[in-house]
Amino acid sequence: MSVIAPKFRLGYFLKGIFDNAFWILTIVTLAGIPAIQIALFFAPLPVIDGQLLTAFLAFTWLFNPTMQVPLIKALIYSDLFRIAAFPGFGFAVLIAAATIFVERKMLAKLQLRVGPFYCGKIEGILQLAGDGLKLISKEIIIPAKADKPLFWAAPVLFVGTAAAFVALIPVAPGGWVVADLDVGLLAVFAVIGFFPIITILSAWSANSKFPFIGGIRALHQMVSFEIPLILSLLGVVILTGTLNLSEIVESQSSFPWIIFMPIGAIVFFTTMLAELERIPFDLPEAESEIVAGWLTEFSGMMYGLVQLGSYLKLYAFAALFVIIFLGGWTGPVFWPPLETELITEGIPIPNYAGDPILTVNTPGLPLLDKDPNEWVLQQQGELQYTSGQLLVSGVIWFVLKTVGVIFFILLPRGVFPRIRLDMLLHIGWYKLIGLSFVNIFIALGLVYAGVIGPGGIL
Amino acid sequence: MADALFLAISVLTIGSAIAALEMRSLVYGSIALMGTLGGVAGFYVMLDSPFVAMFQLAVYVGSIAVLILFTVMLVKRELIFKKIEDPKRKFAGIGLMLIVILALGAIIMDSGIKTISTDSDPVDFREIGGDFLVYYWPALILMALILAGSVMGALVLARREDTIENEQ
Repeated sequence: MSVIAPKFRLGYFLKGIFDNAFWILTIVTLAGIPAIQIALFFAPLPVIDGQLLTAFLAFTWLFNPTMQVPLIKALIYSDLFRIAAFPGFGFAVLIAAATIFVERKMLAKLQLRVGPFYCGKIEGILQLAGDGLKLISKEIIIPAKADKPLFWAAPVLFVGTAAAFVALIPVAPGGWVVADLDVGLLAVFAVIGFFPIITILSAWSANSKFPFIGGIRALHQMVSFEIPLILSLLGVVILTGTLNLSEIVESQSSFPWIIFMPIGAIVFFTTMLAELERIPFDLPEAESEIVAGWLTEFSGMMYGLVQLGSYLKLYAFAALFVIIFLGGWTGPVFWPPLETELITEGIPIPNYAGDPILTVNTPGLPLLDKDPNEWVLQQQGELQYTSGQLLVSGVIWFVLKTVGVIFFILLPRGVFPRIRLDMLLHIGWYKLIGLSFVNIFIALGLVYAGVIGPGGIL
Repeated sequence: MADALFLAISVLTIGSAIAALEMRSLVYGSIALMGTLGGVAGFYVMLDSPFVAMFQLAVYVGSIAVLILFTVMLVKRELIFKKIEDPKRKFAGIGLMLIVILALGAIIMDSGIKTISTDSDPVDFREIGGDFLVYYWPALILMALILAGSVMGALVLARREDTIENEQ
């Protein structure tokens, strides 16, 4: 009979716990609290109800039921939340994790298998958590003759670049984006240009033949598909006259650009598959030829980081497709519109005789608005919505569309074989570049014929 | 704040430029070159022209540096380069660099750069685009034709007859 801990003694167990508690308390006291205080010295503190929200006040208000909602709102509208949680990293990581699980189950269903099944009672829903724990607890093995600084830096740089890409994606109306640049689309091109560098550096630093072959293949593929990728998006820039991604989304309030530029959308989707190294363009990771391509020598959490980065990249590309061709967050608002008086003046409650005796104010209704005293009402047609309603509806539409695009990115993996390298380069350099020029000429024709653009019919 | 940022970017740019010249490893040298080009992009951002900065990143770091890396990795260093360690050459190089920098600085200081007011509004890149399309359109079309011609020439040069016959 196997026992998990054959030499278990309660004394050692308690000693371990007390040791850990002692060291944690010591380190927090000596390093953690000074670090927090130094950070607070530089951090801009929000002002709630005319009071500067210091750390002490925040802890006090945490247990005050009337101040909890303003506290949470101040947190939601802080820059840190924006970067770490909602339109930034955390949101993207959630979608990326869901993508990994759905990909495994969906491919299994396509190929008449069951896929992950045992972890968690329902359809292996905990498989992802199990894999994450496994990756964290595994040993990181560095090849003996690897170039160690570059080999360590490559996964971190990969995740960092993917997160920079995610930071440029606007998710909801009202400036829900980490970095709202006037040259957002150009910044996207600049960030995409970093991926081949990191790939080839990590492949070279592993000092092994399979990663190097995979890295050279990845470089060929990414560099040659970057050109049609950039050209296929220029049609939208010509029609909208802006490079700001939020403005591109707002220009599609009545119809998405895919109606006018299906060729550009097809070219962008194909180049997207190639940039993401997904089947049928997964030559850099061809597991039946070169083990795992440029990922071969990665182990443990380094491999986990590279996978996290590549799925973040997948989410960002799908979101970029949604923003540019499918209209981003635009769509019918789910929530019923509100009467302005209902929010500004409250609901009058009559007594039995019909005389209004009291007014019920509903500060909970515009829960996600920034300042509860200034109702931000936005006109959409004849209906009025608060910005919180538009936020929730926009996020739902954005996520629905993005998930749809991710589904179509995952689908070829169950259907298509891998194509040859020379065919890939032929497609990239001859066909896709030609098609993207056709797309640009369609856009120019629409502008000069006066259909869309300044002074156009639509 | 802006001064500290300027100093940091200057140190990054010049330091990585020196590293790019002095590194024995070609791969690390090209990484340092990327640092230099990225630092120049940082200067563009500080000069309120993010448009040029993004193009600097996309073209120089994203393409030129990749080209250099690609070339370096396919070359065996030991066969081509011999180490020449000569202190005289080193000092001569440093002296030449100092002379060139001093001369350039003197020229720039003599020019009218001091009279430019620094707090004027940045030029919007849409205006630059409009100027290109209205006043400088012959030059733009000439550049476009030259670029298209060079791309077509590259495609013709890279065309291999045997693969196309195989596909048919």
